[in-house]
Amino acid sequence: MALLQIAEPGQSTVPHEHRLAAGIDLGTTNSLIATVKSGLAQTLTDEQGRDILPSVVSYQESSILVGDNAKGYAVSDPQNTIVSAKRLLGRSLSDIKQKYPNLPYQFVGDENHPSIQTRRGVVNPVQVSAEILKALVERAEKSLGGELTGVVITVPAYFDDAQRQSTKDAAKLAGVEVLRLLNEPTAAAVAYGLDSGNDGVIAVYDLGGGTFDISILRLNKGVFEVLATGGDSALGGDDFDLLLVDYLIEQTALTRPLTNNVERQLLKQACFIKEQLTSHEQVSVTIDLPDNKQTQITVNKSTFDGLIKSLVAKTLRACRRSLKDANISIEEVNEVVMVGGSTRVPLVRSEVEKFFNRKPLTSIDPDKVVAIGAAIQADILAGNKPDSDILLLDVIPLSLGIETMGGLVEKIIPRNTTIPVAKAQEFTTFKDGQTAMMIHVLQGERELVDDCRSLARFELRGIPPMVAGAAHIRVTFKVDADGLLQVSAMEKSTKVEASIEVKPSFGLAEDEITQMLKDSMANAKEDMQARMLKEQQVEAKRVLESVQSALATDGDLLSAQEQEAITKALTTMVQVAQQGTVAEIEAAIAEVDKLTARFAELRMDSSIRDALTGHNVEEI
Amino acid sequence: MLNYFELFGLKTDFSIDLAQLSNAFQQLQKTAHPDKFAHASSQEQLLAVQKSATINDAYQTLKNPLKRAEYILKLRGTVMPSEQASFQDNAFLMQQMELREMIAEVQAANDIDAALLEVRTVLDSEYQQLFTQLQQLLNDDTEQSNQQASDILRKLKFYQKLQLEVDRLEEQLFDD
Repeated sequence: MALLQIAEPGQSTVPHEHRLAAGIDLGTTNSLIATVKSGLAQTLTDEQGRDILPSVVSYQESSILVGDNAKGYAVSDPQNTIVSAKRLLGRSLSDIKQKYPNLPYQFVGDENHPSIQTRRGVVNPVQVSAEILKALVERAEKSLGGELTGVVITVPAYFDDAQRQSTKDAAKLAGVEVLRLLNEPTAAAVAYGLDSGNDGVIAVYDLGGGTFDISILRLNKGVFEVLATGGDSALGGDDFDLLLVDYLIEQTALTRPLTNNVERQLLKQACFIKEQLTSHEQVSVTIDLPDNKQTQITVNKSTFDGLIKSLVAKTLRACRRSLKDANISIEEVNEVVMVGGSTRVPLVRSEVEKFFNRKPLTSIDPDKVVAIGAAIQADILAGNKPDSDILLLDVIPLSLGIETMGGLVEKIIPRNTTIPVAKAQEFTTFKDGQTAMMIHVLQGERELVDDCRSLARFELRGIPPMVAGAAHIRVTFKVDADGLLQVSAMEKSTKVEASIEVKPSFGLAEDEITQMLKDSMANAKEDMQARMLKEQQVEAKRVLESVQSALATDGDLLSAQEQEAITKALTTMVQVAQQGTVAEIEAAIAEVDKLTARFAELRMDSSIRDALTGHNVEEI
Repeated sequence: MLNYFELFGLKTDFSIDLAQLSNAFQQLQKTAHPDKFAHASSQEQLLAVQKSATINDAYQTLKNPLKRAEYILKLRGTVMPSEQASFQDNAFLMQQMELREMIAEVQAANDIDAALLEVRTVLDSEYQQLFTQLQQLLNDDTEQSNQQASDILRKLKFYQKLQLEVDRLEEQLFDD
C-alpha cells in the first residue's frame, strides 16, 4: 500500500538537488570514469570519443602528459614515462625489483618509500596515480558541466591496507572527495546484479592488467553480501606479457641486459601478440634487433597457452580457497561474472568455465563493467537515490594482527570479516615499571612476522608505571567501510589513553601528503586555506541538513528546551559558516554536535529497532 | 542493552534459523551501514560506523556455531575452563597427539589425496560427535550441563584448530 508523504512543518519539501558524482576504475593498464545520467550508468569519453584512458603518465619538459598522449613516449622515453604505476603503490623497492627486475625507471628514495627520478624531478607512485585521477575528473567535469561532489574509486579486492591508503592519498593529492573505496569485483557484481535482477550466489572472476581478484557474493533483495574474497595483487595480464617477452628473447637469441627501449619494444610486441591470439591461431611479428637487423617470429596459440598455463592454474587455486572460505560449493554458484581485459584470453575463459562448470557472463564489456558499477554506487552515496535498496556489504581480504613474542603474528581480525569492524585485544607489560610499548601491525595469513606484510609500527607512551603484568592495555583495531585500518590503545585500569605515534611502513605519512599538496599549489598558503574553508562550509551544510530533517521527523524525542537549544546553535552555525574562519566554523559545528550527540544516538537505535519490527510484521 | 539474539529478533537459544538470522542482519544493515550516511554529518557517519560494526560483530558471533555457544555460555554466566584444564585430561591429550601425528604423516604418504581425505573424515566424525553432545547439553541448560558444555566447547576448539592446520597443509601441498 502506498502512503502519501506529508511534509512535517519545517521539513523541506524541495526535492533533493541532483549531485554530480562519478565512479572511477583506476586500473593498472587502463582507467575509466563513468556516471549515472538520466538513470543510466555510462562511461564518459574524451573529445576524441575514447572512454579508455591508458594509465600512463609521461613527464616531459614543458608538461605532464596523461593517457594516449603519454603512451607514445613509453618506448622512446621510458625513463620519464610511467606505465602501470598501480603495481608500485604501497610497495617496497626490493618488492618491486624482485617482481619486475627490468623496469626502465631510475629509482630513488629509501627502501620503503621508492620514488622515480624524472626530468621534472622526483615523483612517487601516489603522485603518478593522482595525475591519472585529475585527468579523469577533469574529463567528467567538462562533460557534465559542473563540479563533482565526490567519486567512488575502485581498488582490487585483494589490495592490502598500504595499497588502499595510497589510493586514497592519490585522490587527496588530486583534490577529489572520495565517497568510498569500492572493491572491483563488488562493483562488477553491482553492474551485473542490476542487469539480471536474480538473487543467488555470484562468483566474480576479475583478471586485470596487474591484479587478480575472486569474490564470492550472495545477492538478496538488493543486498550484495561478500562472503569471501581472494586473489593476488601482483598477478595479471601484464605477467602474460612478461612471459611472452622472455619467450621472444629466447627465440631471438638476445641476451639481457637489454636497453630500456628494446625492453619496451618487446613488451609492446608481446602485448600485441597476446591480443591477436584471442581471435587467431597464430601471429607473426617483426622484432627490431639492436644492431639494426630485424627478425620475424611466429607465436601460435598453444605455445602461448603453455606459457601462461601455470598462472591461470594459480588463479583457480585462489577460487577454490575462496569458495571454501565462503562455505559454498561449486554447484551452489548461480552465476560467474568475468571482469577485466585479461579475461579475453581464451585459455582463461575456457579454464574458468571448466572450473565452475558453467558458462561465465561476459555481456557487459569487461573493460567497462567496474567503472559502471562504481558509478551506480557513487550515485547512491551522493544522495541521489534516497530510496535505493542497494547495499554493499564487503569484507577485508587479509587478516590483520600484531607481532607477539618470538616473531609470531597474533591475528586480531581474520580475513573475510565483514566491514566495518572493531575488535579489541588486551595486552600487558612484561617488565616492572614499563611505561612504553611497541606495537607492530601486520597483515597476512602466515604465522611468522617475516612472512606477513608490515603495515605500521606504533609506540605507546605514558603507560603508568606498575609491576609487570598489572597494566591492561586495550588495543582496538577499527576497519572502516573503505577497508582502512585505524588503531588506538588505552590502559584500562587508569583509563590513560596512551599516545600513539604512527609510522606507516609503506606509502606516505600524513604530513608528506600535506607538503605535496602545498607544493602543487601556486599560492600554497592561500589555496590551502581556501580549501579547508570550503571543506568546513560543506560540513556545516551537511550538519544543518541532517539535523533539520532529524528534528522534523523525530523532534518529539526531545524536550522543548533541548529543541530550542539545538535550533539556536544551528542558527549560530549558519551565520558563522558564512563569515567565520575555519576554526570558528569548526567550533560552531562542534557545539551542534555536542548538543545533538544523544539525539543522534537515540534516533539511530530507534531506527534499528524499527527495522526489525517492521521486518517481523512483514514475515508474519 | 540488547543481547545479540534480541538484536536480531531471535530467541536466545543455541538452535537458530540461519536464514532468519541472515535476513535480519541485512535488514539491520540497511538502516545502520555507513553507506546510508555517506552524505550525512561527520557525527552521524561516525555513529553509523560504530553501530554497523556492532551488528557485524553480533552476526559473526551468532553465525559461527562455536562462537554462538561461547556467547550463550557467557550470557548464562558459565565460567570457561582455562587452557590449563586441557592438560589434565590425559585421554583427550593422547587423542590429540595421535591426530597431530596423522596430519604430519600426510606429507609422506604415497597417495596424498587419500591421506588428506582420511584425516578429514576422522576429524569431521569426531567433531560431529562432540558437537551433538554440545547441542544436547546447551538445550538442557542446567548449571551442571552448562559446565559440561563449556568443557566440550574447549575440545571442539582443538578440533577446529586441527582442521585449520589441515587446510593450511592442503594449501601448501597444492600451491606451487
